[in-house]
Amino acid sequence: MRRRREGSPFTGLAAVALKEAADHMTSARIHLVMLLVLLTALGAVYATIGEIKQTFSEDQFLFLRVFTMAQDPLPSFVGFLGFLLPLVAIALGFDAINGEYNRRTLSRVLSQPIYRDALLTGKYLGGLIVIAICLVTLWLLVTGLGILLLGLPPSAEEIVRGLAFLLASFVYAGVWLAVALLFSIVFRAPATAALAALTVWLLFAIFWSMLAPLIAGAIVTVDPLNPTTAVAHAEWQTAISRISPNMLYGEMTLALLSPETRTLGLVFASQLHQALLGAPLPVSESLSLIWPQLAGMVAALVVLFTIAYVTFQRQEIRA
Amino acid sequence: MFPHGRFASAFAAAALAAAGAALTSGIAVAQTPVAATATQAGEDRQGLWLTTPFPELTAEAGSEITMTLRLANVGLPPQRVSFDVSGLPQGWSWEIDGGGQAVGAAIAGPDETVELTLEVTPPADADVGQYDFTVTGEADGQSLRLPIALRLTEAEPARLTLEPTLPALRGSVRSTFDFQVAITNEGRDDTVVNLLAQAPAGFEVTFKQRYGSQELTSLPVAAGKTENITVSVSPAENTPAGQYPVLIRAASESATGDAQLLMDVTGRPTLSLSGPEGRLSGEAVAGEQRSFTFTLANTGTAAARSVSMSASPPSGWTVTFEPDEIDELQPGQRVEVSVGITPSDKAIAGDYVVPVRANGDGVSDNASFRVTVTTSTVWGIVGLGVIAAAVVVLAVAVTRYGRR
Repeated sequence: MRRRREGSPFTGLAAVALKEAADHMTSARIHLVMLLVLLTALGAVYATIGEIKQTFSEDQFLFLRVFTMAQDPLPSFVGFLGFLLPLVAIALGFDAINGEYNRRTLSRVLSQPIYRDALLTGKYLGGLIVIAICLVTLWLLVTGLGILLLGLPPSAEEIVRGLAFLLASFVYAGVWLAVALLFSIVFRAPATAALAALTVWLLFAIFWSMLAPLIAGAIVTVDPLNPTTAVAHAEWQTAISRISPNMLYGEMTLALLSPETRTLGLVFASQLHQALLGAPLPVSESLSLIWPQLAGMVAALVVLFTIAYVTFQRQEIRA
Repeated sequence: MFPHGRFASAFAAAALAAAGAALTSGIAVAQTPVAATATQAGEDRQGLWLTTPFPELTAEAGSEITMTLRLANVGLPPQRVSFDVSGLPQGWSWEIDGGGQAVGAAIAGPDETVELTLEVTPPADADVGQYDFTVTGEADGQSLRLPIALRLTEAEPARLTLEPTLPALRGSVRSTFDFQVAITNEGRDDTVVNLLAQAPAGFEVTFKQRYGSQELTSLPVAAGKTENITVSVSPAENTPAGQYPVLIRAASESATGDAQLLMDVTGRPTLSLSGPEGRLSGEAVAGEQRSFTFTLANTGTAAARSVSMSASPPSGWTVTFEPDEIDELQPGQRVEVSVGITPSDKAIAGDYVVPVRANGDGVSDNASFRVTVTTSTVWGIVGLGVIAAAVVVLAVAVTRYGRR
């Protein structure tokens, strides 16, 4: 028989979240990771702006090019973010629970009138707050750098697209934070949790794009005489590669920051008949284009958090 | 030299007497009989004459009258004749000129004719009417009388006539109508005529010299001469089909001449197709029909007939027209055509071009309509459903394991 519990499960949530955020903000580990992200991102943006000033004469979305243009040997700003945001999230979350456990502070915290619900949610929210601060700072820095060096303000549409991009980045980082949080609950040793999270990160960031065609090829054998098998293969490949949050984030940034992107995935020539290529899509259409990706990521975030929650609630934490 | 001349004049006299038949026979006959005939004729016609070719003449009042006098001496020794004019009313003056000078008398040698000119100057206020006077010549023992009847008439006014070669031309609104017009000065004075035209509003009329490129406003026309000009008329751009008169006028100080030209302007329909509210873009949802109101106008000058609407949509799209055929569209008339566009349900979001065309008899217009396809929001709701499902799972987990 379960006994009935009293009070809100979220008592003390704000205290835990803010304390967690404050701890992160003062920790040397986060400082180092942030510095890495900041320097690489600013370097990429600076190089891109130099390139833009030399080559572009007129562009409706000049400001968005600051985010998307790559200048050899540096990748573009969004490329950097797609690669490094999971690292930031993992650094924030890999020892969230097991760290407390190993320091023997978990039972001490829970002896306070705080439910485990509030502790876990607070840990997660604290990480999200730090990520949000980091992203907003980066976004403002890049935009400010763009205004300063390009000498022109972003248009309203560019700001809307920029904000949507910010939201997409936030959700993307949230997914990885949930992954790190889950591993920090599953594995008692923080090093194991960190390595597990980094493995998943490397799998999706680097190897998934290589694995997807192989898996698709195993499911559908491409018959050169039957074009429908090629179509099925391509569709399977897209579907499998979309398991990776990195792929989803890449598609979202592409649709948001390159307004001329009209579709993500497979396009038939008949669909492009008499289409005006290069004409930018309205913001609303770009948003509806990325909505499945965004919804999928939000759902993944919630599901991952739920798994972490259930695991944590059922765990023996006394030590 | 002299016998030859004598023979010649005698032969001429014979010819006059024998008329046409004698003339032809005179060439054929031998020389001696001719000489004999001449001598005989000379004897018959011996004498002194004062003659004029036109003893009765008409002249305009206010002008000097000039007539030719001939003093002929046939077969006589040289005769001196002094002239006088009698019977002229008070105020009239006269003068006889010979060899460019005023003369009072003349001598006609044997078989000679002296040409003289009589100038009669009536006073400025001379009345219209009949005037008889006599030119008299006093020779040695002989008096010659030449009665002349002069009729003074009203001064004939200066006159200009305009004669178009082809007074009516046919052409379209865009063509230039070139009329060839001859201006004749029928007065007695040289004059400068101003050229004027009276045409419907918006018509442009220019005068040019024939084979010339310079535009004229006036040109000199000598008395009795004809000047050829070209009158070019360009109709106004929006002139409806029909017949238009153009009055051209040549005016000098004392006379004007008119000519009526007729232009038969044939019409031409011009179709103009415009999109809803003048825009050539619109939005449509993939797979759903959307109706756009196009406006088809005839901005030409003639009716457009059997105008059919058509479109070349991207593959998988359907375009319908209501109405899809217009039997007749009068000039200036507008018709609203409802164009229903259904993008393919596989169309991707963004802009497509749908050329829409109106095709009539010999006239057409097309408009490239730009359709911004938006995709269905069904997937958005599905996405929300996915998120909601995840949240429900979380809520179940919280109720099941919460508050530990």
